[in-house]
Amino acid sequence: MLFKNSILILFISLSSILVAQKTVTGNVSSADGPLPGATVAVKASATGTTTDFDGNFSIAVADQDVLVVSYVGFATQEISVADATDFNIMMQADQLLDEVVITALGISREKKSLGYSITEVTGDNVNTIKDNNLASSLTGKVAGLQISSAGSLGSASRITIRGNNSLGGNSQALIVVDGMPINASLPLSNDGNQRETGSNNSGGSASFEPSIAGGGISDINPDDVESISVLKGPAASALYGSRAGNGVILITTKKGSRSDKLGVTLKTNLYVDNPMFLPDFQNQYGQGSLGAANLARSAGSWSSDSWGGKLDGSQQPYYDGSSKAYSAQTNNVEDFFRSGVRNITSLSIDKGSEAGSIRFSYTNNSSESIVQGSDLNSHNFNLRAIANLSDKLTVDTKATYFTQEVLGRASTIGAQGFIGNLYMMPRNVAIDDLRNYQAANPGTPAEFAVISYGDQTGNPFWQSQHDESNVRRNRFLGYAKINYAFTDWLNAFVRVGADVTNVRDRDLKKPGHHFQTTGGLLLQESQFVELNSEFLVTANHKFTDKLDVIANVGGNLSKRSSEGMMLFGSDFKIPTKFFLSNLNLVNAPVESPLAIKKVNSAYGAVNLAYDNFLYLDGSVRNDWSSTLSEDNRSYMYSSFSLSAILNRFIDPEQNFFNLVKVRASIAEVGNDTDVYQLGQTYNVPGQGYLGLTTLSNSPVKLNPDLKPETVTSNEFGLELSMLSNKLTLDVTVYNMETTDLIFDVPVPASTGFLFNRTNIGKVSNKGLEIALGATLMETNNLSWDTSLFYSSNDNKVEELVDGLDTFVYNESSDGNIKVSATVGGSIGDLYGRVLTGETDASGIPLFSGPTEKLGNAQPDFLAGWSNTIRYKDFSMSFLIDARVGGQIYSQTSSSLDIRGVSERSLQYRDGITVSGTNSATGAANNVEISGQDYWTAMGEVSSEYIYDQDNVRLRELSIGYNVPGVEKIGLQSANIQLVGRNLFFFSKSADDIDPETMLGTSIGVQGISQFAMPTLRSMGLNLTLNF
Amino acid sequence: MKNKILIICSSFLIATMLSCTDDFNEINTQPDALSTDDISAKFFVTNIQQKLLRPTLIPLWFGDVIQPDQFSGQTANGWAGSDWDGDLGWLYNSTYQDLGCWDWLAGYNSDLTSYMNNVKPGGTLEDEMYYALGLVMKGFYYQQYTEAFGMIPFTEASDPNITLPKYDDQLTIYKGIIADLDEAIAIIGSGTEAGSGFGILRENDVIFGGDMQKWKQLANSLKLRIALRAHDGVGEDFSATAATEAIASGVLADLDAMFEGYADETNIWGGSSSYGDVWHNFAGSQWKTTEALINILKTSDDPRLSKMTKPAVGGTMTITKPVAGQGVALIDTHVAYVKSMLDLSGLILDTDYTWVETATDLTITMPENTNFIGMPSRLSGKLKAYMPDYMFSDPADIITQKTNEGKPLFPTVLMTSADSHFMIAEAIVKGLATGDADTYYQLGLEKAMAIWDTAPTSEFSAANMGSLAGSTDEEKLEKIATQRWLVNYTNGYEGWSIVRDTGYPTACVITSDNNDIVSFGGENNGLQIQRLKYGTGTYSSNGANVNAAVSAQGADNMTTKLWFAK
Repeated sequence: MLFKNSILILFISLSSILVAQKTVTGNVSSADGPLPGATVAVKASATGTTTDFDGNFSIAVADQDVLVVSYVGFATQEISVADATDFNIMMQADQLLDEVVITALGISREKKSLGYSITEVTGDNVNTIKDNNLASSLTGKVAGLQISSAGSLGSASRITIRGNNSLGGNSQALIVVDGMPINASLPLSNDGNQRETGSNNSGGSASFEPSIAGGGISDINPDDVESISVLKGPAASALYGSRAGNGVILITTKKGSRSDKLGVTLKTNLYVDNPMFLPDFQNQYGQGSLGAANLARSAGSWSSDSWGGKLDGSQQPYYDGSSKAYSAQTNNVEDFFRSGVRNITSLSIDKGSEAGSIRFSYTNNSSESIVQGSDLNSHNFNLRAIANLSDKLTVDTKATYFTQEVLGRASTIGAQGFIGNLYMMPRNVAIDDLRNYQAANPGTPAEFAVISYGDQTGNPFWQSQHDESNVRRNRFLGYAKINYAFTDWLNAFVRVGADVTNVRDRDLKKPGHHFQTTGGLLLQESQFVELNSEFLVTANHKFTDKLDVIANVGGNLSKRSSEGMMLFGSDFKIPTKFFLSNLNLVNAPVESPLAIKKVNSAYGAVNLAYDNFLYLDGSVRNDWSSTLSEDNRSYMYSSFSLSAILNRFIDPEQNFFNLVKVRASIAEVGNDTDVYQLGQTYNVPGQGYLGLTTLSNSPVKLNPDLKPETVTSNEFGLELSMLSNKLTLDVTVYNMETTDLIFDVPVPASTGFLFNRTNIGKVSNKGLEIALGATLMETNNLSWDTSLFYSSNDNKVEELVDGLDTFVYNESSDGNIKVSATVGGSIGDLYGRVLTGETDASGIPLFSGPTEKLGNAQPDFLAGWSNTIRYKDFSMSFLIDARVGGQIYSQTSSSLDIRGVSERSLQYRDGITVSGTNSATGAANNVEISGQDYWTAMGEVSSEYIYDQDNVRLRELSIGYNVPGVEKIGLQSANIQLVGRNLFFFSKSADDIDPETMLGTSIGVQGISQFAMPTLRSMGLNLTLNF
Repeated sequence: MKNKILIICSSFLIATMLSCTDDFNEINTQPDALSTDDISAKFFVTNIQQKLLRPTLIPLWFGDVIQPDQFSGQTANGWAGSDWDGDLGWLYNSTYQDLGCWDWLAGYNSDLTSYMNNVKPGGTLEDEMYYALGLVMKGFYYQQYTEAFGMIPFTEASDPNITLPKYDDQLTIYKGIIADLDEAIAIIGSGTEAGSGFGILRENDVIFGGDMQKWKQLANSLKLRIALRAHDGVGEDFSATAATEAIASGVLADLDAMFEGYADETNIWGGSSSYGDVWHNFAGSQWKTTEALINILKTSDDPRLSKMTKPAVGGTMTITKPVAGQGVALIDTHVAYVKSMLDLSGLILDTDYTWVETATDLTITMPENTNFIGMPSRLSGKLKAYMPDYMFSDPADIITQKTNEGKPLFPTVLMTSADSHFMIAEAIVKGLATGDADTYYQLGLEKAMAIWDTAPTSEFSAANMGSLAGSTDEEKLEKIATQRWLVNYTNGYEGWSIVRDTGYPTACVITSDNNDIVSFGGENNGLQIQRLKYGTGTYSSNGANVNAAVSAQGADNMTTKLWFAK
């Protein structure tokens, strides 16, 4: 529009002035008041003017003339003059019609012209209430986007768009920052065998370890984000090729403004984190077993369960050898945690002129975990410089350096993690007593041994301070882009970019660990590099009045590499210092030599626009991937989309509809594989045996004929804007199918292999996305905007391969749940145990094997409701979001019941006769069992611990105030905000756990929760000063 | 300027389109992996031996320690202060069984089959001696595998193209093992070495240092073992011939087939583990020697008692009686049980120990490191508090020796010359061979004692166990079975098979009729453990065939008797 207007103005100024029959006056205004600078022109003439500061204009016209009134951001109006002399013209916001969004390859497009679904989130939406991981701030804001987190400070997220496309677990979205795909930087696995070179694994590592470090999106500084476009289907992301089969999150970062005034912004965010909730514990029974408190510890059998006697305050033996009042310690779990203070401060400076712009920002994040001894510190330096070297030549460069330390993060995994040892602490144990976790001056190995409330039980304080993982990441992201505008219709750019990440992990278990008594040290160093060189030529031509054509042709050379080393040792010589040469036993180091993957691509796209109502897009891309064989390495795919804007036919006067758009697209993308997947080789294990070299075959039968996976998608959409754009609706239905899935088909070991890697099967995702927006109120002082989204996805495994109906991804560590993909079912089906209705001879309930389908880890639908209310200088926004359907197994709850610490375990303390058939007698069971026996058995029955993921929470709330009058003290503006995150649940089905916190980010641990860090409730203060 | 840019862009375009797939094959070749040209079969021999005989921690711990070793009656858990109750393992747990037994044993076949496919005629590393050695390893593997689970895939296994192999009955499998052993024996003939040049076997064979004649003897010993195990099985017609052939061809007569542990290696988490790695790194998982084992050795004055086990630490042990909870009602039963246990171990009150019982506690005092007391198997968790750590005998230090300390480790027992001699004696008593059973029995005892650096003493020889002379055939079989069970100490899979096959030692047929003392073992309802359950994963990966096996063999539970069981 801007462009058109300037042409128009130019035209006007150059034209001769027609003879005027009369002069009319008028006022142009919008809902917010007068519109200064609006263009008022006479149609098919050179006459025109602009409105003054109060929106007034006067112009000479003839009666038969038609006035064309236009203003950026508003719908252009045409008004016949006739015999009127005064016009009161109310402009209607035209944001939707002319909303420009960033699409694939960073190409800006008018949203109305797109034939596929795209959602854009502004920077304010993700940097107001900050999480340490940017991904968390997208939760509840985009239809079709699902974020699951893994819990602890600095950990990764799992990001999926429109469900899981790939069986192999690589279903996560690609993250692209300013046109550069960024690597998720997976650490090497403990066996050193993992070689990932730029996978789609955006959220971080596909690891089983819930405290796994982030990577990918978590390295992006929210304050640098201008906007985020979520490209949902293959049609939107097709131009990114084989990495984008799972959708793309396209992040555009801030540039310097064109203003020649120095812009300085200082932002401080101060948050205090606390556990949002903890499991419900019982406070009636104490440590012990069989209904009695433990006897003197020296006698040996020292139970760490809470199946003891009534907490009656009597003196009973205590774990430290003393005797102590047997009383409930109601807050002992809560008191373990401290308030975590997070302080994020950022400074940005920007300035610009006709010659270009520059922006520098620095952000410091200093976060404390709620667990003592664990901190995250990061520094982010970002420099963006754009130089307009001539009116045609522009150079755009960016350099970001990010360095982060996540220190002292203790392992939470499983029953050996500190959260488990904390939650399962007997109910009469005082948390402060556990601070005394080691002998005062330990000398012998035995004196180093951890002191805890049970035998061979970890102490949460010991663990959080002596069983620690330190991860240091250094990342450089940068590019240089040269853009040349040959003519007003032909533009080209060349861009070279790099993403270099170094990750160093140091996992230390100090001597005295409850299992690894002499301590151990794991050191890992990995480097990931991604280089992209690309060009894009864009031509824009108006063939006739009505036909506009934009054509893009481009190419990309992508090179991704990884390398690393890993060392592991145990048994510290001198148990007070912790470094490699102080270890008695050091394993042979594991080297992952440089592994390189290259993908060359060529692509093109054509966008046809006919008469501003019909838009047809086509794209084609060919990739050549080094990971596939010569015959298969070149593959091509294409996408087509069509959108039609029908309001001019349906409601030309815009009486009701401001926009009626229908759209449809079909698209196909490929998905290649990792390095070294083709040829059979033999591995030399680092260790060998008795000094002898040993060799073994790869357990995977590799396949030289591996083909790329194919994702195809159909999508239909309807977009409506009504009532002067006060009400908008966007509905999308889609159907995606992935075929030729690259998959390790498990085969019996009797074949000589454990897996055959091949292309198999079909997975489909069908879904519905609805986004509704409304301006509920709009006056000078008060406005209320609301938006609501709903997205459902139905994932189905259509076929695997002959003879394989079920593939088991993973089994929970207690063996009670299997996460599977079953033909006719979905990825993430949960299979577990159910009661058989029988008891054994001793009256204990019997249960089935973990073979009964109990649910699925994928939610049925997600919904979010965002609101922004402004009153004068105040603003308030809140987000309520919901996840409905889908199940999760709470291994946490099962363990708490088995140990007798949960509130549930108060039931049947006096014994229960389980109803059912006694399998020994064949008659109705009449053998009474204790509550301890009952819950110990029931803890294995996974069907009892399957919860719906249903929950509705107040995810975000912010209340802001623009401090008036700050100009006097030299500020442009000042804003202060009170913010909160994860404030409370309106409803939640699961006991004990947050159903959105999974055991890790890989597909195989979705639907399992086990002693995750508590979900944090953050409350804080933002202060933004613009100088 | 414009032209320059155009040139840059179009060259970039052309470069992208045409270039640069030249190095694709090269960069996609793994630099740290070997191709067929770089390798020799000998490296795989060490691998297939170690993976079966010294596997990783998981099969050793979740498998042997928690399951077969206990089911054999040689070890027991559940002392006061242990992480586990006495019924650990006796209660079915899919994680332990899947990871420790099925997944490991079924999974081992991938190593074995890839080895066999490499060395078989037409394979990339074709060599008939290596192939023969593989057939013997295969025999041991299938014996252990089928005796743990019953029907398993055999005839359709080892074929890379059959991904849904059917399950064969034990008769078919035993016949198949014998056929494989016959083939191995024929191939070895009088040959002495496998491979040549760089590919010569020698020290890569951890068991016999590449001596193929020893492998032939081992094949014959295994053939005899299979013949005896199958003997009297429904439908078997081969045991007599096989036993005769094996004895005639020559069983393992002087050397033991043992697989050495590593004392100097440096990694417990790696590809191999020994008992000491569980014992010392997971102190709460330490096990005790059983009442059965200790009492058998004691009643025969067997000199191995102090070699295989250690005396109880002893001292003063005070057991406080519970004053609340379920334990109160069971005090008398439990105290009486402890007393009977001490009586059964042959200890004499006020001579070997003192017993002071009051209303509140029970104090047992005994000299330190003197008494050998075995721990009863399958104890109920309710008794745990009455089972002080120091009251029971631990296994000998050599068994629980930690790796990496440069001290000797007890090797893994594959087959002993003692067992070979006992088996000949058994074959003679069963009428499958001729000769003087007691001569072979005596030879077997000498060899068996030699493993523990001792020899039959006069007291031992005078004891009932010292000779077969004057015994009935059933008594002879009991003695032979008991000695075979003893010589397979630390080899729980074989020990358990002997108990199930022969019913001896009777103390190891462990059942329960009182859940307050000996655990029913949950769904096992007090019955003897006869087999392990199929891996839960196999129901999804090869469902039709495993279901066919279950309908042929009987319910997939731990109490269904296998074909060879008494």
